[in-house]
Amino acid sequence: MKKNKSILKTITTSREISLLVVLVLLCAAITIKSPSFMTYKSIIDMLRNNTVTMIMAVGMLGILLIGGIDISVASSLALSGMTAGMLMKYGVVKNVFLIFLIAMAIGGLCGLINGLVISRGKVLPIIATMGAMYVYRGLAYLVANNEWVSAEDLGTFSSFALDKFWGINYVIWVLIGVYALFFVMMKWTRLGRKVYAVGSNKEAASISGINISNVELFVYVMMGILAGICGTIAVSVYSSAQPNMLYGKEMDIIAACVIGGVSMSGGRGSVAGALLGGLVLAAIAKALPLVGIEAIAQNTVKGVIILVVIILNVITQRTIDRNNLKEREI
Amino acid sequence: MELKGITKIFPGVKALNNVRFQLKKGEVHALMGENGAGKSTLIKVITGVHRAEEGEMFLDGKKVEFKRPRDAQEAGIAAVYQHPTSYPDLSVAENIFKGHEMLKYGMIQWKEMNLQAAKILKELNTDFAPTDEMGTLSVAQQQMVEIAKALSTNARIIILDEPTAALTKNESEELYTIVDRLKENGVSIIFISHRFEDMYRLADRITVFRDSQYINTYLVDGITNAELIKAMVGREIKDLFPKPSVQMGEEVLRVERFTRAGYYKDVSFSVRAGEIIGITGLVGAGRTEVVESICGVTKPDSGKLYLNKKEVKIKEPADAIKNGIILLPEDRQKQGLILNWGLGDNVTLPIMHKHAKWGFNNNKVERKISKELLESVDTKAVTIFDQASSLSGGNQQKVVVAKALGQEMKVVILDEPTKGVDVGAKAEIYQIMGDLAEQGYAIVMISSEMPEILGMSDRIVIMCNGKVTGELNGHETTQERILELAMEKSSDLQEAEYEKEQINS
Amino acid sequence: MAGKSGRSIANKPEKVWQKRILSWEGMLVVLFIAVNIFCINISSMYQFSNVLREMPKYLTEVFILLPMAYILIMGDIDISVGSIVCLSATMACTAYNKGIPFIAVVLICLMTGMACGFVNGIILTRFTELPPMIVTLATQIIFRGIAEITLGSGGSVSLTKADGFRMISGKVGKVPYIVFLVIILAAGFTVVLCATTFGRRLYAIGSNKLAAYYAGIQVERTRLIVYSVTGFMSGLAALLLVSVLYGANTTTGNGFEMDAIAMAVFGGISTNGGKGKLQGGIIAAFIIICLRIGLGLINLNPQIILIILGILLVLSVLLPNIFRGVKLQSKSIEMK
Repeated sequence: MKKNKSILKTITTSREISLLVVLVLLCAAITIKSPSFMTYKSIIDMLRNNTVTMIMAVGMLGILLIGGIDISVASSLALSGMTAGMLMKYGVVKNVFLIFLIAMAIGGLCGLINGLVISRGKVLPIIATMGAMYVYRGLAYLVANNEWVSAEDLGTFSSFALDKFWGINYVIWVLIGVYALFFVMMKWTRLGRKVYAVGSNKEAASISGINISNVELFVYVMMGILAGICGTIAVSVYSSAQPNMLYGKEMDIIAACVIGGVSMSGGRGSVAGALLGGLVLAAIAKALPLVGIEAIAQNTVKGVIILVVIILNVITQRTIDRNNLKEREI
Repeated sequence: MELKGITKIFPGVKALNNVRFQLKKGEVHALMGENGAGKSTLIKVITGVHRAEEGEMFLDGKKVEFKRPRDAQEAGIAAVYQHPTSYPDLSVAENIFKGHEMLKYGMIQWKEMNLQAAKILKELNTDFAPTDEMGTLSVAQQQMVEIAKALSTNARIIILDEPTAALTKNESEELYTIVDRLKENGVSIIFISHRFEDMYRLADRITVFRDSQYINTYLVDGITNAELIKAMVGREIKDLFPKPSVQMGEEVLRVERFTRAGYYKDVSFSVRAGEIIGITGLVGAGRTEVVESICGVTKPDSGKLYLNKKEVKIKEPADAIKNGIILLPEDRQKQGLILNWGLGDNVTLPIMHKHAKWGFNNNKVERKISKELLESVDTKAVTIFDQASSLSGGNQQKVVVAKALGQEMKVVILDEPTKGVDVGAKAEIYQIMGDLAEQGYAIVMISSEMPEILGMSDRIVIMCNGKVTGELNGHETTQERILELAMEKSSDLQEAEYEKEQINS
Repeated sequence: MAGKSGRSIANKPEKVWQKRILSWEGMLVVLFIAVNIFCINISSMYQFSNVLREMPKYLTEVFILLPMAYILIMGDIDISVGSIVCLSATMACTAYNKGIPFIAVVLICLMTGMACGFVNGIILTRFTELPPMIVTLATQIIFRGIAEITLGSGGSVSLTKADGFRMISGKVGKVPYIVFLVIILAAGFTVVLCATTFGRRLYAIGSNKLAAYYAGIQVERTRLIVYSVTGFMSGLAALLLVSVLYGANTTTGNGFEMDAIAMAVFGGISTNGGKGKLQGGIIAAFIIICLRIGLGLINLNPQIILIILGILLVLSVLLPNIFRGVKLQSKSIEMK
């Protein structure tokens, strides 16, 4: 057994550390190009604009960990956000806290339905959530009833994204809170470890008495609740609500997880990884215009980066394996 | 512990029929029977994974009922399953304590758990750390973790399901010592095994099952192989190894200096027509890897392959098949068969294109061929449309054999052809091998089972740690000589490592 | 070498007509008829000629369904097809507006699609460790991204002249060409899947990739072919879409991948691979198309149609699962 690994080896084997290195380099490069990047305001702006993706990524982490997938998240986000927006527009509910609760309940319900269909009905996650994606988006349109919610309609709520507490945006507090909660839950609680166990070996988990259906249900409901929170945040950040909000965002969320080293086949991935994956994506989006790449090419670059990251991953893994084999003496 | 009148029904089958079983304190009790006899189901009833429809279970004279695995765990029953039921992505310590983590204020205490795990692992004499990732360990090491897990629950009854199936000789030896130590501590042990040596070495008593029914319980002292086999199979088996004496022909296949980094090095051997070559060695010696490279599943880094004295280049299994090199892979469920397909389609999969016209399948001819092939190996099936998954291990292996027989063969390579196959089917598979040799095919058989290797091979190639350490005449050698060669290098290596450690410290 | 016991194994296939009708495909046919009766009842406009006129718009997705069924049966997935349609359509429109002869435009469109599919295939077969879902997610973003760059800041392109494309959208009597093309291609894809060695190999790969590989099937080559064909068919779909829309924009083909997968799954093809028939997928596609046309004729909110489709999709998988569960339970009670 070799105890002391070289630093280089740790970097290449630990996804989180290598991501951190990439992130730091990226930030340094952006700062050199445009010194205004490292200002407090610009960083807060970047975080605020990407809060939705980052919060959703941690929910998606739980789902990917058990080997599932949820492509209905953007739709349930739109449904809960749209409902929240309409409630405010017509002055039914004014209390911000209550708005969040209602949105969370709607999102949670969406997640519950997904979870029940998947865990009890044994429908493949991709199919179940694909159907749900149509249904929730359709419902969002029905709720909107050919209207949309503008900044004026939102009244005081639109300031939620701007107001600060201890010098930090409320939105970012929510982000911090969600991540702190998940970090503790996934690492130190039985529930969190059960999620890892189910993803790592379903059969073993069921033999050792873990109720797999309930764990599945739990991660989908969790994702739904987060989608509800994000729906409300999205309404406040963009200070508008439309039924087609964040169309196709589920792919960004999955991409953040993948860059963060979460395995699509389950069992592997961490909260820190999801966070870093989201941050790297955000930093890249910020960096592209600075290095002269037009906004129009952003998607292409993003796609290429995802592709390069996953291919590099395979190549490094292959190299590590090959070197391990060569080291093995015969 | 005592079980009475246990009956368990699965949709369509009675897996256990009015079965009884008794276990004394500090006893090692072996469960034997052919595959599908109901041993594993009984274990799952005892551990609360399945609930029996009828029957009672007593623990220390008190009636108990396990509704879920947790109940059995709390009653002090722990099981180590055939395929390690571990979590490859989690640490060793977490694997050990899964289900009974150390908690404080609802938070998992990682430090304490690692310490405790290290303590148990030290007791078991293992050489890995509690923080290692489970997936990086060898099968034997993973089994140790499973045993550590059983110990961590302070289990009074430990169940070992085929514990030595994946272990090498000396690893098994290590396991025996651990079992002995557990027994001294008053732990009762139930174990399932197909290996007679395990049983004689460990067990106090043996209970035999057949066709989901209890047959009898025997004391190990004074019982013979033949008696046990008769009890298990329900009939006597004569002539287990029908190796015919065959006039050997020309050399058919020659492997020259095959090398693949990390797996095997400088492997050379040859096979003649009508000859059976046995390749043996400890698990992990690189036997399977060598034949997989011969058949194009993986690519060797260097080395040459000659077929009928002409060099052939094989890049993928399709090339090997075209050249008549047919592999019966080790893992028939994953590599050999498509389990949710009918038997007929399985058998004709590699040959369907030969009977196709313009790319269209000729179903009529295929059905005829597959019927003949399946009948020729005496498969226990009703129609050729039966799903492969509905057959027992032995019959599945026969389908794999039938699939091979349908192809144009020159060389047949069988990788552990009787692994997980019950005694009755084993004999039939040996019979087929004998027939094939008689018909002049060159045969390569990989096996870990000594009797099989000695009984069937004309020549025996012994591999150790990726190298060929010896080639013996199959008719003149002994078990001891083979073992010596199979373990030769590994002890050298251990010494070298020991020296290294001494220098480091 | 005859078996000792002389046991005979039957090899005559059972041909029970009840089984045929009770199969998923049989139920889909019944559902297809029911949907048509329903549509005729709700709208007097639901007549053969009207349906035919509306059809081409929806048929483009069937072109994607066909190869998608192959991909799903192999146990793979491709979520980049919508973007391939977008890119191919963009290329075709831009090229045609530049005055390139129509026949060359057709080739450009098809080749763009095939190239995209080939890229997917190459990446997936070179790096077999990668799950197809992620790879095609990345290429989905890339292909549409390239289309966005080509389209420029306006984000859309319209055909300045449409003669060539008008030719494609022509009709024989009342029946548009595209209907014939769909029928021919659907028949071709179905026959290849259920009657040829190639089709059987697809099922083998989807059921057990490793066993298929050991049995001498060139798994990676087959996958590369199927992904390329998928690209080609997406290019074809793009061509027909342009002939209906006379232009392309950044959202062209949005959601096509999901619609195609949904049709296939509704038709009984499992995304787990190895199961299902293309006949089912095709009938399912026509059920959905008829429903869309029928509900569209009574001016039902398209979002409600989406909701109905989503529920249909989930139920088509959920209900058989539930029935199977009940059946198993009753069976074990009987045994008792």
